Amino acid sequence: MGSGKRQASGPPPHSPLATDLLRRLPSHQVLTTLAERRNYRYDAIQFGETPLAVVLPETTADVVAAVQAARAAGVPVVGRGAASGLSGGAAPLEPGLVISFTRMTGLRIDPARREARAQAGVVTLAVSEAARPHGLIYPPDPASFRTSTIGGNLAENAGGPMCFKYGVTGDYVRALQVVDAAGEVHELTRDAYDLAGLFIGSEGTLGLMTEATLRLVPPPRVTRTLMAHFPEVGACAEAVSQAIAAGAVPSKLEFMDRACTNAVEDYLSLGLPRGAEAVLLVDTDGDDLPTVEEERALVEAACVAAGGTVRRAGTDAEAAALWQARRSVSPALGRIRPQRMNEDIAVPRSALPEVVREIRALGDASAFTVVQFGHIGDGNLHPNILFDPRHDDPHAVHDLAHRIALVALRHGGVLSGEHGIGTMKRDFMRDAVDPVTLGALWSVKGALDPAGLLNPGKVLPEEVKG
Amino acid sequence: MNNEIRGAVPGGQGEVMAHAVDACVHCGFCLPACPTYALLGDEMDSPRGRIVLMKEVLEGALPLADAAPHLDRCLGCQGCVTACPSGVPYGELITAFRGWSEPQRARSPLDRAKRSAILKILPAPKVFSVAARVGQYTKPLAPLLPAALRAPLDLLPETVPAMQPSPAVTPARGVQRGRVAFLVGCAQQALTPNFNAATLRVLARNGIEVVVPEGQGCCGAAALHTGARDEALTLVRRNLATFHPGDYDAILSNAAGCGAGLKEYPMVLRGEHDEARASAFAAKVMDISEYLHRLLQAGELEPPLPASRPITVAYHDACHLAHAQGVRAAPRALLRFIPGVTVQEVPEGDLCCGSAGTYNLEQPELASQLGARKAKNILSTAPDLIASGNIGCHTQIQSHVRRAGSRAPVMHTVEVLDRAYRGEL
Ligand SMILES: Cc1cc2nc3c(=O)[nH]c(=O)nc-3n(C[C@H](O)[C@H](O)[C@H](O)COP(=O)(O)OP(=O)(O)OC[C@H]3O[C@@H](n4cnc5c(N)ncnc54)[C@H](O)[C@@H]3O)c2cc1C
Ligand code: SF4
Ligand code: SF4
Repeated sequence: MGSGKRQASGPPPHSPLATDLLRRLPSHQVLTTLAERRNYRYDAIQFGETPLAVVLPETTADVVAAVQAARAAGVPVVGRGAASGLSGGAAPLEPGLVISFTRMTGLRIDPARREARAQAGVVTLAVSEAARPHGLIYPPDPASFRTSTIGGNLAENAGGPMCFKYGVTGDYVRALQVVDAAGEVHELTRDAYDLAGLFIGSEGTLGLMTEATLRLVPPPRVTRTLMAHFPEVGACAEAVSQAIAAGAVPSKLEFMDRACTNAVEDYLSLGLPRGAEAVLLVDTDGDDLPTVEEERALVEAACVAAGGTVRRAGTDAEAAALWQARRSVSPALGRIRPQRMNEDIAVPRSALPEVVREIRALGDASAFTVVQFGHIGDGNLHPNILFDPRHDDPHAVHDLAHRIALVALRHGGVLSGEHGIGTMKRDFMRDAVDPVTLGALWSVKGALDPAGLLNPGKVLPEEVKG
Repeated sequence: MNNEIRGAVPGGQGEVMAHAVDACVHCGFCLPACPTYALLGDEMDSPRGRIVLMKEVLEGALPLADAAPHLDRCLGCQGCVTACPSGVPYGELITAFRGWSEPQRARSPLDRAKRSAILKILPAPKVFSVAARVGQYTKPLAPLLPAALRAPLDLLPETVPAMQPSPAVTPARGVQRGRVAFLVGCAQQALTPNFNAATLRVLARNGIEVVVPEGQGCCGAAALHTGARDEALTLVRRNLATFHPGDYDAILSNAAGCGAGLKEYPMVLRGEHDEARASAFAAKVMDISEYLHRLLQAGELEPPLPASRPITVAYHDACHLAHAQGVRAAPRALLRFIPGVTVQEVPEGDLCCGSAGTYNLEQPELASQLGARKAKNILSTAPDLIASGNIGCHTQIQSHVRRAGSRAPVMHTVEVLDRAYRGEL
């Protein structure tokens, strides 16, 4: 049997934790074999430790039972949605329990209140799909919205192309149900102390989100899409700054550089301009056609002034294809190099042209391919360092990522626009947050998770503790 | 994804597998495309999860027996391939992996016998026809049989038609525009002889001479995808010796699974002496709908007669047509070419119907859940007629829409066209 070699088979299926879990939960919710557990150690960026057991809960009570078992065993708990995270958040750093929310997919729409009540494992897009027949949508739309879960979006406070005009996940949360480290269930609203706000974006380090009440809105009646391409990356950023300064509030403003455009073109063959150094995708939307078209005209004028060439999407299908192109950028980069370090900085819009050019220069001076794309309207950029782990030095990659992060900080920006800190940027937190504030963050963590069992090793750098 | 597969499995197939694993960035974009993930909601039964399982087995970090149940549940539908922006050739990975791992599998004697019987019966139309008849008489006993034996019986049509062997040459009618070779297929000759008859009629009517080269056999896809690599290689080599690509404008198949199998020959022979020959062969292979669509685009396809009344056709994308071969537009365009026909898109259209080669026999439970889901989605479009381009989907969909109480006819795309030509639509 097997492939000849003797394999490490890890702890036996009935480790004390597994036995306890099986006592508290139905067996189809508890994964114990090696093949099952090995598959819950990664997210979209990194592989971590094989968990001791995995629980696939269906109700909040199941989550409580799982947390209690982990507490009794004294092992860490890592929450996991679709593991599409790009900061290593769902990859366990120590053997422990993974709670995977993919089967918690209960979803109820309340059209009268314009609300959705969603369990953590509901796929983001599903909320909009369920709301649409009622004339409503759920705007937060990370590029991963077909895959990622509401729980993961809440934990990362995910954004997306729509967030420039409509805001990010946290802006749509009315109430949140959370299971804390002690296994207690909390129903949080946004009043008084905004504890819900504290949990949103906490990357599973303060508690596990089990359900959320989300705000729905009517979709805009009209949308206009345009694409512009530029002979230089900074020019694209200038166009964005000018368009916004002129008063346009596009609903989406996205950019991708030449390498991105080409990777996507290899995948989708949409006829994107392969030769352009930067491509800008813009939606203007609203209920009043003249206003929407006026806004588009403002953007067009800014693009042309910055040396760009503008193309309007003629049909809905053409617009949809362009947006699919944008959503595919990140994974399509896998065609160039098997691995990448994904940065997620956000900078003031006025600094954009300078920042994009500096990052471009850093990339050109390095041995790596550095590509850029992002929600440029928010100043949210995703510089990616592409590398091949078989040949490239991981320290050099990390060092370059650090220098890119410093560019953002130098221009008054932040380390994460939407993907979170996770493990990828934990070390850079010391550059970004002053020691006093870091101390406060540690105090909050200590108050809510005294034993440090919730997603240890993420977000907060170790040394400043205490 | 970092891996050490090249060292573990040297040679052409090791390279195929290592390349596929390299290319995966574990982003999870493939998750919503995967039927087993949709049903089971766990990572081991997702494309990304299976890629990791295969990697770990190949690297020796996981015993094959642990990974096998999850890999066995894969339908090979390649929905993940369509969904993957990184271009991971998952189909090649799972095929190569099954070929590599099958000889090492611990299987019960009964299981082995069943698998080898399936692989012997499927490719032999005459044997299959007899077996299907026997099966029909056995149908009343079905409730007494274990699930694994009951599943194939459930799928048999109400009547098994008489075999209709295809003539060696079907001459073109009118001005001859082209000459093609035709792979007649295996099971479908026995179950749905009209697929081939309609194909020959439609091609001839459009000025295409059709040759059925003597000595051709099963495409080998069923053997290949169940890991019987040696049997598959024999079949592949036999077809390579039979079809001479230089003699024809195209080599046509009207079964999506077979067409995809033929297009895979270069991958199967990667690194072996016949590789170049396989590439020349595969370059000529086309699905019947692709070929007819080219005629349509060139303005050379004879217009069919209008349907007798407006007809709504629910077109079902066979996985091996849409995902494995990337053929989506052609069959739709052909159907729309018939005056009076409206083509309906099926909700969750990219999700496999659960037929997937021998899946019905090996995973009857999941296959049946997917079949029921597909039937529900198709019927939600209130179709007058259901069309698809694959025998496996055909039987699966037919049996599940009947079970759901619909009498809508289920046809091959080319049959719909054939009927329209004959004024019978
Ligand atoms: C191709 C691609 C494109 C992307 N584009 C965007 C984008 O445009 N905008 C954006 O913001 N992000 C984007 N992302 C990143 C990622 O999809 C988001 O961060 C998403 O919110 C993660 O959701 P998930 O369900 O996959 O969570 P996971 O990756 O499984 O988990 C993310 C974090 O949340 C925690 N977590 C998960 N579920 C829970 C829960 N129920 N309770 C508590 N903690 C939990 C995990 O422990 C982890 O720390 C992209 C990712 C990919 C691969
Ligand atoms: S979509 Fe492609 S790259 Fe992403 S996880 Fe799936 S197979 Fe891997
Ligand atoms: S081939 Fe189909 S069943 Fe198999 S992993 Fe891909 S999508 Fe899932």
